[in-house]
Amino acid sequence: MTAEIATVDIGPTADELAEGRRLRRRKRLTNLAIDVFLVIVSLLMLLPLVFLVANAFKTPAEMLAWPPTILPRDPTLANFSAVLGETPLIRWIGNSLAFAVLSTVAIVATSAIAGYIFGKFRFGTLNLIFALFLATAIVPFEVYMIPLYFQAKSLGILNSVWGLLLGYLVMSFGIFLIRQNVIHSIPDELLEAARIDGAGEFWIFLHIVLPLLRGALGALAVLAFFQAWTAFAWPMIVATTRTSYTIEVGLALFQTGFTVDLGRLSAASATVLIPSILLFVILRRNFVQGVASTGLKE
Amino acid sequence: MLKRKRFIFAILAILPTLAIFGYVRLYPIADTLRLSLFKWDILSRNKPFIGLANFRELMGDHLFLDALVNTTIIAFGVLLLTIPMALVIAALIFHRTRSRMAGFYETAVFIPHVVSLVPAAMAWKWIFDARLGPLNALLNFFGIPAQNWLFDPVLSVICIIVLCSWQALGYAVLIYIVGFKNLPVSLYEAAKLDGASGPQSFWFLSIPMLKPITLYVSVVTLVSGFNVYAQAFVLASDAQGAPGRQVRVLVLDMLENSFRNYRVGYAASEAVVLLVIVLVLTLIQFSMLRERGRI
Amino acid sequence: MKNVSVKNRISTRGRLLGMAFGAAMLSGLSSASAQTLTVWSGYPEMAPFYEHVAQGLKASHPDLEVKVEAIALREHEKRVALGLTGGQEGITVIELSGSTATRYLENGLLPEAPDDVAAFVTDPQNFDTFFRDTASYDGTVYGVPLFRGQGALYYNTDMFKAAGLTEPPKTMEDYSRYAEKLTQRDGSGKATVSGWSLRLSGGGQGIAEKFWINMHQYGGAILVPAGDGKWKADFANEAGRKALKQYLENIYTLKTVTPEMPADADAFERGQTAMFIRESWVIGDIAKKAPDLKYATAPLPKGSIALPTNLYVAGDDADIGWEFAQAANSPENLVWLLENVGWLPNRSGVDYSSVTTKQPAFAAFVNYPQGYEFFTLPSIGPIEEILTRVAAQLVVAFGDASMASDDAKIDAFLKKASDEVNTILDREGLAAK
Repeated sequence: MTAEIATVDIGPTADELAEGRRLRRRKRLTNLAIDVFLVIVSLLMLLPLVFLVANAFKTPAEMLAWPPTILPRDPTLANFSAVLGETPLIRWIGNSLAFAVLSTVAIVATSAIAGYIFGKFRFGTLNLIFALFLATAIVPFEVYMIPLYFQAKSLGILNSVWGLLLGYLVMSFGIFLIRQNVIHSIPDELLEAARIDGAGEFWIFLHIVLPLLRGALGALAVLAFFQAWTAFAWPMIVATTRTSYTIEVGLALFQTGFTVDLGRLSAASATVLIPSILLFVILRRNFVQGVASTGLKE
Repeated sequence: MLKRKRFIFAILAILPTLAIFGYVRLYPIADTLRLSLFKWDILSRNKPFIGLANFRELMGDHLFLDALVNTTIIAFGVLLLTIPMALVIAALIFHRTRSRMAGFYETAVFIPHVVSLVPAAMAWKWIFDARLGPLNALLNFFGIPAQNWLFDPVLSVICIIVLCSWQALGYAVLIYIVGFKNLPVSLYEAAKLDGASGPQSFWFLSIPMLKPITLYVSVVTLVSGFNVYAQAFVLASDAQGAPGRQVRVLVLDMLENSFRNYRVGYAASEAVVLLVIVLVLTLIQFSMLRERGRI
Repeated sequence: MKNVSVKNRISTRGRLLGMAFGAAMLSGLSSASAQTLTVWSGYPEMAPFYEHVAQGLKASHPDLEVKVEAIALREHEKRVALGLTGGQEGITVIELSGSTATRYLENGLLPEAPDDVAAFVTDPQNFDTFFRDTASYDGTVYGVPLFRGQGALYYNTDMFKAAGLTEPPKTMEDYSRYAEKLTQRDGSGKATVSGWSLRLSGGGQGIAEKFWINMHQYGGAILVPAGDGKWKADFANEAGRKALKQYLENIYTLKTVTPEMPADADAFERGQTAMFIRESWVIGDIAKKAPDLKYATAPLPKGSIALPTNLYVAGDDADIGWEFAQAANSPENLVWLLENVGWLPNRSGVDYSSVTTKQPAFAAFVNYPQGYEFFTLPSIGPIEEILTRVAAQLVVAFGDASMASDDAKIDAFLKKASDEVNTILDREGLAAK
């Protein structure tokens, strides 16, 4: 013990200093190499999207040129104006937004209530119901989407936002996520204290629980929004009129006419892509938190 | 008394969610199981019960078997490509966690996971294009002959694997980063004192300790791999000018059977097969986790 | 807990975004107005035609709002299947090929035509019995014939000239010979312009339909009637072998075409293929997209597909729908259809010469030689399933180079595909005993 202190007091020798410098330099070099590698990986991941946006500005002749160009030689906005003029692109984006927002609201509401109840009300019946919810979480949507389609049909809500919504009203994972948060971040004492003060159960949920869950609900909201925004198989069968397409379906069917015009297709895609990337960058922290909590299964 | 009141509140509060859940989840799942035993063509009123005939037919249906094989190859292909890459990238991002670039790395790797699938697939369709695509241009540059990416039976499956991996990677990386953050720092310090290098402690410490996370990510990746549909649809969609080879996958075959061939019962039996596969994969995950717990 | 303030800020922003989305959403939920007629079409290029018909109806029905929804054929067929069995609302004019409509007629999902419309359709002055029959079921008229898909050869006359060819090919042997001469290659011998564009890939039944057209020239068919409303496969024979062999020869021996080469109308318009077989709509498409292209058309060696498409009407109190279907058949509208869209109208006794003289490419579709044999897709329920499955088999065969020179292998393949077709027929109770 004393010996160690003594060395520190004496200070490093010249040799030790040189050794430290070498180590630090080696560490800096390693870090640099890692950074270079990660930058390359990041750019490769983004490259297809860069291509897409670049293609949106190319003329038809340039789209057919070989070798392919990365950046458009003489950028044109013609693709954008053609797409906006010929397809109800704005309408499709509107449909997608309406669907995604309503789905987010529904999922956040049902998850908040159910998550709270499952987290704080430990009754046998409820545990059983929770197990049921969890068990269905692994059943892929595609498995039961056909019967669900017939339910939507019998409700007469095909080709509408409500029909789309039917498949995206609840999210088993959302309930699970909120329940975990309730258990970890809402102390029983807080609730008991409120009850002793004579607060009603509903008042407690609204004024104590919800504000404390704000962070988790925000993360869930972002997850739910993007889940609906990128949905494909369900909108593909539920929305079959041109006016009720979501943007994903509209884009996919855009090219199934007699001809493909990759430039216009890219323009339409870029129009959709850019706002969703922006939205993601703005909400990144929420999103990362939401996704991250999926890995924290216990 | 108080407990009883709370119980009533809990039941009342859970009731609406439970009702919705029953209607949009439990009922259609049960209905899928039921329909798989019937012959029903959507249009006609009679819907005869045919027992397991649908499943028997499935076993001899080469389109279904083709779809099953393709889907399995795609799911495992994505798994094998994604998990090792995600682990390494996550380790490196975690290593550079304090650098200013960390946020950029995370965002860049994760963006493919959130962008809409169809636009992304469009981009890849162009990249893979045999005549005009940059991928073949790159190959030519290195003197490698151009490949018919979207038309060759093997390459077209690889294209889908690449596209799916590109999308799945970000999610896996993110989960791994969280995993790294939760690893006990003291262990690494001890390893360092014992003279272990970075790669060594990654191999001998991180990988074993991240096993539960690996299992979780694997199952999520596999299950979403088995549900692959939009990727196959867009890469070979029916544009008559330059379509690609249609890689038949389970969901595509299912939808084709129900909405094109009007065989809803038959499609439901395919859905049941998909369900069984997913259940088995999840059970394997659980049992592996439990095994690890015992050791 | 430490970054609560960040979260708060974000959720406020979230609320603002939410409000903006909410506003956008409300605008997307507006409902339909009173007198509305919807037209469902499976051909996007037909939309202007239906709008033109609607314009004509404006005079007698000023309040009528016609909504034309023309989408890709596959999606169209899907929405019809789903729409007719329930969710369908209001009066809808539905465009369907006779073979597809059968399924709905069998199940009573489409109403009979009113008497005056039936009289219009059954009048031999108006329609050939072939068209009347495909618009009927069990002797009752259900639809109004409109146009048909009929194939002919399109060829690039500049490329023909450059290859020293003056006449269009007359026999199927000519087709291969021509294809070889017409193919343009780069230094390594790789084809850059296909001599004869064949449908070799993609999803769905198109591959099988195109194969059938070629096989028809050799006297084969995917399905032939076997009496009593029963059917059987008829391609595991010499005609089938010749047709498939010609595909394989062109891909592997002559190397005039490859699956990944640009194909179809698109490629023809861009000068990426010298010839191909397609319906008459391509004439309209070329006029729009490649007006300077030098090309001509020719009848096929033996005969062509003729796939009649009819208009059906769904909904209660649908008089206006029938009126629309009949108005679509007015001489003025049909001439407009031929001139502007290019699909061939089925009604006889209309003077189309103003269009056919201006656009000689129509001649191959209208003035075909004596004894030209037409075939059509059978009006049976599982027709799509059969064609889709044959198509899936064909794609595999097209990819098998070893088959090109191995007749036994071709025969075994055709036998397998034909057995599969017969199994489906059997399952549906349609197989010949």
